[in-house]
Amino acid sequence: MKGTYLGEFEELVLLSVGILFDDAYGLAIVDELEKQTGRTIMISSAHKALVRLEEKGYLKSKLGGSTETRGGRDKRLYQLTQAGKKVLAESRELRNEMWKQVPKIVWEGGKL
Amino acid sequence: MKQNQTSPPRWALRFFKWFCNQHLAEAVLGDMLELYIRRRKSMPKWKADALFVANVIQFVQPFAIRGKSTPTLNTFDMYKNYFTIAWRTFLKSKGYSFINIVGLAVGLSACLLIGLYVKHELSYDRFHEKADRVYRVNMELKFGDNHLNLAVANPLFGETAKIEIPQVEQTTRLQWYGSLLIKKGDDNIRERNVAWADSTLFDVFTLPMLWGNPATALREPNSIVITESVARKYFDRADVLGETLTINNTESRKITGVIKDLPSNMHFQFTSFVPVVEREDALDPTWAGSQNWNTYLLLKPGASEVEATSLLNKMVDNHLGPELKSILGKTLNEFNSEGNFFKVSLTALPDIYLRSSRIGELFGTGNIQYVYIFSAIAACILIIAIINFMNLATARSANRAREVGMRKVMGSMKSALVGQFITESVLTCVVAMLLAVGIAIGIIPFFNELIGKPIEISLLFTPQVGGIVLVLTLLVGVLAGSYPAFYLSAFQPVSVLKGSKSSGGKRSVFRNVLVVFQFAASVLLITGTLIVFRQLQFIQQKDVGYNRSQLLTLYNIDKLGNRTESMKTSLLQITGVDKVTVTGYLPVNFYRSNESFFTSPSLEVKDMISMQKWTVDDDYVQTMGMQLLEGRNFSRDIAADTSGIILNESAAKFLGTDQILEKKLYRLENEQTKELKEYRVIGIVKDFNFSSLREQVKPLAFITGLNDGGMTVRLQAGDLTQAVTAIETKWKSIASDLPFEYSFLDADFDQLYKGERQSGNLITYFATLSIIISCLGLFGLATFMAEQRTKEIGIRKVMGASVSGITTLLSKDFLKLVVIAVVIAIPAAWYFTSRWLQSFAYHTELEWWIFAVASVLALIIALLTVSVQAIKAAVQNPVNSLRVE
Repeated sequence: MKGTYLGEFEELVLLSVGILFDDAYGLAIVDELEKQTGRTIMISSAHKALVRLEEKGYLKSKLGGSTETRGGRDKRLYQLTQAGKKVLAESRELRNEMWKQVPKIVWEGGKL
Repeated sequence: MKQNQTSPPRWALRFFKWFCNQHLAEAVLGDMLELYIRRRKSMPKWKADALFVANVIQFVQPFAIRGKSTPTLNTFDMYKNYFTIAWRTFLKSKGYSFINIVGLAVGLSACLLIGLYVKHELSYDRFHEKADRVYRVNMELKFGDNHLNLAVANPLFGETAKIEIPQVEQTTRLQWYGSLLIKKGDDNIRERNVAWADSTLFDVFTLPMLWGNPATALREPNSIVITESVARKYFDRADVLGETLTINNTESRKITGVIKDLPSNMHFQFTSFVPVVEREDALDPTWAGSQNWNTYLLLKPGASEVEATSLLNKMVDNHLGPELKSILGKTLNEFNSEGNFFKVSLTALPDIYLRSSRIGELFGTGNIQYVYIFSAIAACILIIAIINFMNLATARSANRAREVGMRKVMGSMKSALVGQFITESVLTCVVAMLLAVGIAIGIIPFFNELIGKPIEISLLFTPQVGGIVLVLTLLVGVLAGSYPAFYLSAFQPVSVLKGSKSSGGKRSVFRNVLVVFQFAASVLLITGTLIVFRQLQFIQQKDVGYNRSQLLTLYNIDKLGNRTESMKTSLLQITGVDKVTVTGYLPVNFYRSNESFFTSPSLEVKDMISMQKWTVDDDYVQTMGMQLLEGRNFSRDIAADTSGIILNESAAKFLGTDQILEKKLYRLENEQTKELKEYRVIGIVKDFNFSSLREQVKPLAFITGLNDGGMTVRLQAGDLTQAVTAIETKWKSIASDLPFEYSFLDADFDQLYKGERQSGNLITYFATLSIIISCLGLFGLATFMAEQRTKEIGIRKVMGASVSGITTLLSKDFLKLVVIAVVIAIPAAWYFTSRWLQSFAYHTELEWWIFAVASVLALIIALLTVSVQAIKAAVQNPVNSLRVE
């Protein structure tokens, strides 16, 4: 189904939101992704993905947690919804299923 | 305070807040600030600033923008709706739309064509690479009562300037050669437009050479540089470098260069150049003597024109002093103190064509006055067309007032209504402009013929012009739409829906002002047309002092050599040939240099008269049909007549009223030996116009002698073609080696006023156009008004009003406006036309009836337009108009 398709980047963003739990906002997510993947992440791409994921219903957000270091501005704190959790689980399931179907010989470097 | 030092550029913040939607703005800004503060710890402010700006820019994406105000899709729908409504309005009132679009399109196409013409006129000589540094030398001379403004200078002016004045980088000279006979096969073809040119020609002007070396092409005697099309004419190919042309049957010239054809927007249009080195008099060291070289100076980059001019004047004074001393025995100061002077000025190359008309211009120049006149006409026509549009739109507002009221009630904002009306008007304009471009493409060949210029329609599609056209379309659309838009959108929905605004603004002062302006412009143009045509007619009919009809001029006489006399005698034997005279001095060629004559052998400046000296034979006066006022003509039986001189009236007046006949005149034959030639006045000829009628007749003298510049034949009235054929047969039998070329003098005369005639024609067309457009508008208005008052008319008829009464009622309002327009237009018309006429020394008088005719014409046209509608409304059966509610 079109609506439930999850891109790789989107999946990583969802997982980051999960990891950060109660402080999952834009910049923290960027930091987390950079730390985990070693890639440089543009702050705008992260926000773009967050907006999309919220529109798809995998995330919900609220404003809060302003600090001095951000000019007293609120963060938009994200949280996984039930649907978000479900889609992550499905994605993992799918991978596991497919992993299992790959013959062992592939991993052992055998030749046909 | 702390924050100020650590905050990113303010404008970036503001920009972000402006475009970003509410949902994200706060949080994202927080994120970016946090990142910024973090970065500031490890990098300089500028770098952090730059990265911040980069971050902001990365957010300019739909996901961050959208949702801020109305969603994008919604605005699209709104515009789509504007177009739909515009289209429906078009269809609903086809008549109005037609008048609107056609009126605008015709007006716009006239503007496009005039625009192209003006662009062409303004583009003269701007293409030269060094155009901004090239100047033409002008000499203004005053000695005695002679005052001359010349476009030419003495032979060594340029060379001397180059040596003595550091600002001058290069110089070049040009002079008319006249025409060459070039042999092609067995025939000789006349190549007109040949010039003497210095070898530095190509350093100053941008004349791309296709074959040959520009640096050396004009160095050697007997060489010639020709244009590509001349090359093709004689060789059917262009790479003819090193080929030889046989010239005038005897000499040969080697082609040392082939240049590209000269663009049409260049102030000289020569097709061949021959080297000045062949001319010994080109090195003549005189300063006061002959001024006959068109001299151009190339200044060094950055050199000031003003400074160069003052240095050039000093240079002339330095050289002139010794020369005056030796000729006149006077110092420069003495010479100047008598009110005489030699003054040098410079004309920038791009200004030569439009802003200079001195004696000795190489080719006829344009006239900046006409550029202004036509620009004004274009503006007038455009404004008339726009006014039509505005008038019709506001008049129709009644029909749309309800629509506006309804829209307002439904919550439409004023800005949205303005948007809608502007969209409608821009759309009309776009359609009109497309139509206009079509019309322009269709009539440009005709237009070119009318103005005698090769303007290409492809000019319309250059990015520059295309851009202007696009901007013009939008501008006209917005301008024409703005009044109706604001007028309509300001309606109070309550009053509109109640129906009290349905009269369509009967009392619209603004609309009346527009109609007045329209008709004032039309009356102005009608008067202008009438005056121009009267002046042209005046030129045609003016007694120019000789009889120019049935005069045939033959060319190539200079090549006849010793056969000239026998040609003359045998032509005289032909029946139909009355008289024959041999001379190149004809009253239809422009410039010939003046020469100085003195009334005393001591050569005092105060005794000097500067006049043209024409060498003619003893048949000249009779052949030309000139009139001797006093004295007698030259006679071949009187040997002393070789020193006889016939003056024209102006010269006689100049010399005073006492006994002129037998008076002695002296002329300096040789500056070095001071040899004098003495002349004795034997006759006075009635003044005849020998240059443009823009100028007064200047002093002129005939002396007798052989000048083989042409042969002019007076034909008897009757079959001219037969006479010409007979002359051709004679010519072939005597000079079969030379082409038989001729022209009629009256045709040459007409040629002198080609510019005026072309402008006259153009003005007529545009005046007609403006009247048609005005009438279209008036017609629309009248139709509308009649429609508005249908019920009133019905009631009036029921009450016993007559058809004529109602027609008058309906026409009266409009006629009042036209009368006001006439009152305003006439002083303006008087002012402009009298200024134009003053540019002619001989001109027709402004008479009151011209203005009367123009006014009555405008009134009649307006009346006809309006009354068609008025009568139509008046004859209707009142039952029809009163039955419907």
